[in-house]
Amino acid sequence: MAIRKTPKLKRFLTIEVPMLAILVFTLGPYLWMFITSVSPEETLFTSGPSLLNATFENYARLFDTVGFSDNLMDSLIVAVGTVIVGLSLSVTAAYSFSRFNFKGKRVLMLQFLLINMFPLVLLILPLFVLMRMLGLLDTHVALIIANSTVAIPFSIWMMVSYINGIPRSLDEAAMTDGCTRLQALRRVVLPLCMPGIIATGIYIFITSWNEYLYALTLGGRDVRTITVAVQTLIGEYEVQWGLLTAGGIVGAMPATVLFLIVQKRLISGLTQGAVKG
Amino acid sequence: MTTATLDPDISARRSALGRRILPYAMLSPAVLVTLAIVFFPMVQTAWMSLHEYVLFRPNDFNWVGLDNFRAALADEVFWISLKHTAIWMCTTIPAQLLLGLITALLLNQDFWWRPLARALIIIPWALPSVVIALMWTWIYDSNYGVANEFLLRLGVIQQAVPWLANPDTALASIILTLTWQGFPFFAVMILAGLQSIPASYYEAASIDGASAWRQFWHITLPGIAGVMMTAVLLRMIWVANSFDVIFVMTGGGPGYSTHTLPLYAFIKARTNLDFGYGSSIAVLFTIMLMVVVVFYLRRTGKAVD
Amino acid sequence: MKSSSIVGIASALALMTSAAYADSTVRFWYHFDNADNPMDELVATFEAENPGIKIDAENVPWNSYYDQLYTSIVGGNAPDAAMVKLFAQPRLIELGALHPIDDDIANWDGAANIEDGLIDLVKGGDGTQYYLPVQYVALYLYYRADMLAELGLEVPTTCDEFRDVAKALTRDTDGDGQTDVYGFGFRGAKGGHDHWGTFVLGAQDVSLTDGITSEAGVAGTQFVADLFQKDQVFPPSAPNDGFQEIIGAFKAGRTAMTIHHIGSANGMVEALGDKVSAAPVPACGGGSWTAFGDESTAVLSNAEDPEAAFKWISFLSSEGHNTTFNQATGQLPVVKADASNWTMHPERFVEATQASVPAAQLLPSSSATSDFVNTVWPTNMQRVLIGEISAEEMNANIDALFSE
Repeated sequence: MAIRKTPKLKRFLTIEVPMLAILVFTLGPYLWMFITSVSPEETLFTSGPSLLNATFENYARLFDTVGFSDNLMDSLIVAVGTVIVGLSLSVTAAYSFSRFNFKGKRVLMLQFLLINMFPLVLLILPLFVLMRMLGLLDTHVALIIANSTVAIPFSIWMMVSYINGIPRSLDEAAMTDGCTRLQALRRVVLPLCMPGIIATGIYIFITSWNEYLYALTLGGRDVRTITVAVQTLIGEYEVQWGLLTAGGIVGAMPATVLFLIVQKRLISGLTQGAVKG
Repeated sequence: MTTATLDPDISARRSALGRRILPYAMLSPAVLVTLAIVFFPMVQTAWMSLHEYVLFRPNDFNWVGLDNFRAALADEVFWISLKHTAIWMCTTIPAQLLLGLITALLLNQDFWWRPLARALIIIPWALPSVVIALMWTWIYDSNYGVANEFLLRLGVIQQAVPWLANPDTALASIILTLTWQGFPFFAVMILAGLQSIPASYYEAASIDGASAWRQFWHITLPGIAGVMMTAVLLRMIWVANSFDVIFVMTGGGPGYSTHTLPLYAFIKARTNLDFGYGSSIAVLFTIMLMVVVVFYLRRTGKAVD
Repeated sequence: MKSSSIVGIASALALMTSAAYADSTVRFWYHFDNADNPMDELVATFEAENPGIKIDAENVPWNSYYDQLYTSIVGGNAPDAAMVKLFAQPRLIELGALHPIDDDIANWDGAANIEDGLIDLVKGGDGTQYYLPVQYVALYLYYRADMLAELGLEVPTTCDEFRDVAKALTRDTDGDGQTDVYGFGFRGAKGGHDHWGTFVLGAQDVSLTDGITSEAGVAGTQFVADLFQKDQVFPPSAPNDGFQEIIGAFKAGRTAMTIHHIGSANGMVEALGDKVSAAPVPACGGGSWTAFGDESTAVLSNAEDPEAAFKWISFLSSEGHNTTFNQATGQLPVVKADASNWTMHPERFVEATQASVPAAQLLPSSSATSDFVNTVWPTNMQRVLIGEISAEEMNANIDALFSE
């Protein structure tokens, strides 16, 4: 971006220091959680969480007795499934919204927004009955479908704005060169809006990963995501702080690692050459 | 949607029929799924709002017309919740946007630990809401919370403050938590938007001697405006609807000090099992939100065509 | 798929005769404050003793337990048996969701082993037996014996004494001008009606359904408000404090007294050792009132094989197994033999519980009770504490709820 040839010190002060400050704000509560999760349970309320006598007992218990690895698996299946379903449906729909003009476009786009405006809690009961009739209760499929519907409307809107950011002249040029429309979509538009697809994919992944109400109602004994598992640690008379915070630390990991891997693709897809072409 | 739609004669010549059908073909999977899974239950719920429907009295499903709506509009709690919903949206979203924008701009710079910073920044967003809510409740706790300890040591406050138990600070405390949870969304979305600005623009501007601020104002901001407007729109709807953090942190209390409309609908339907009344609040809320959204779309010139 | 087990609510009786013993699956819902999930052990023992019955036990998160139960009942996918509390019974009866177990109990040998009167106590409002008790507690007063001794105070037995003791215990111990210890940890968030009840419902002729708006009833609520606003013996966070806050503050030495039950005794001893002790709650307005904390099991009316379901729930309330169950939940067993051999809690807390039982009361058997517990009480109490409404208004709102 803008600041190119500034001296090292100035860059340090204007970029790295503010970044560090934001990270402190971001990670402070997370670190506090980590410290809680490694503190011995009996000292939490007396001397408070501390790194002295740190123990990883809570993590061991989480996986051995609570069965957190199964929950992680369920969450992962649901989240990845939702990303696949959600991205493929929303990218095609967004392309259509961005590149075509057709009757009912305005209404259709608004209906996608409307869907996400209605408080979810009131949709639960009818959806529960629907899934029961389809025989899908307590399956991954039910959760993938339900989470997709939550994610798709937003994803479409996000993707429309990213695709709009790509000059129309590019895919038209490709079509002049003999590509069909779908080829132009695949070869020109998709690579160019990769940053947008990644951001939307992360959005869908996280939305699905953190979803609780559907996971509780439509899941069950066989499919139990981490959000539901974490809730069972909040009892009637006792909160299992150690396990809960350990669950939170572990629970935030997949999305973070995933983002660490894909963030490299979050770089400009628009090289100079492409614009000229 | 800044570019005008359609032009080319080229594609027109290609296949007129295909062009008419293709957009619908590409849309139909997404539309069908959402219609079946959300729209249908939504209509059912709207239907419920016209009835007296208390879940544990399934036999008394009586048509009451608009009685539930009349009751809601006469309900003191409805208006209190509406006020809080408005405050809540008007503070949380700008705060998230501003912080997210700064973060995205910083994350778009080159520094050696950028990959790590990018990954770490999404942690608040990647945590389950219930964990966030409990963690912050603990941080805010007036007896052993770290927030009070920290502020006391700094000398900012003289006495531990019961952040969540005091009606004057409860809503603000929750807004801070939500800002923390939500700004990474803006950061990631804007960061992705920044990538669509060709580097050549900046190079040209640098050669012309434009200052960093002018570059930001004339190149960066217009370049991400579309993405930013959409992100704000989506966040508006999301924030308006999110109540899980409030529910866990205060349950809407003390008194009604942190009630928002979706939370009120949730409590009515899920806790009091009064689905008729809960549905009517949800319907009213959705209508109001729709009005705000349409107004927003008009104002930002993002009308859908 | 479990949808095969769904049957109409009314057809339970017809099914009873047709139910075959072989290969029944009982879907059971429960909630435990115990992450190590000792339910597996109970299920394994049961399945070994009863070949042909399979138990599908599902641990449902407590804070969504009843929402989820009602949703599944109305949605037609309810479990066959579930752990349930008394406050939910009126609603479940109205829903027609419970299966009567009078005959099953009459034919069950284990019934005689249950603590006297408990089975009758959990009878439905319509005179039918649906619930089978599985554990119980009675709330009592936790106090810091060391602080009372240091100040030469006695454990309060009446509200007047309570007020004086709480004031004396509220102290600035390190001389920095800030209060370090508060006399009483009051639970102002959901569930705190147990505390309020002690100060209000002990009075003569005052109950939730009758006389709550009388002078004595209002005086009780005012007493609570005064403790907070005038005497300042509750921590300032009291309006929003739930059980974890009151227990946490007590363990951390920030409060000197609070009201809770034996379920938290072991945690407190771990943190405070001999410094913590317990006694029955003080008598207020001339009588004593403390909450009876119950947990029962019930067979639901859509159970495919109610006999098998009863076998399972009665197994949980039988000798030995009831101990295992309560070791998991940290409460007290309902089986006499198990209770007399109970070693899980220090004796002083078991004794305090037993001494509290005579004053222990149930909430009214009305479908308004759930709303009282979940929304009406917490909201009104918080509004009183933060000065938005008066004690009269709060009691009038409660009266309005129950007279609906």
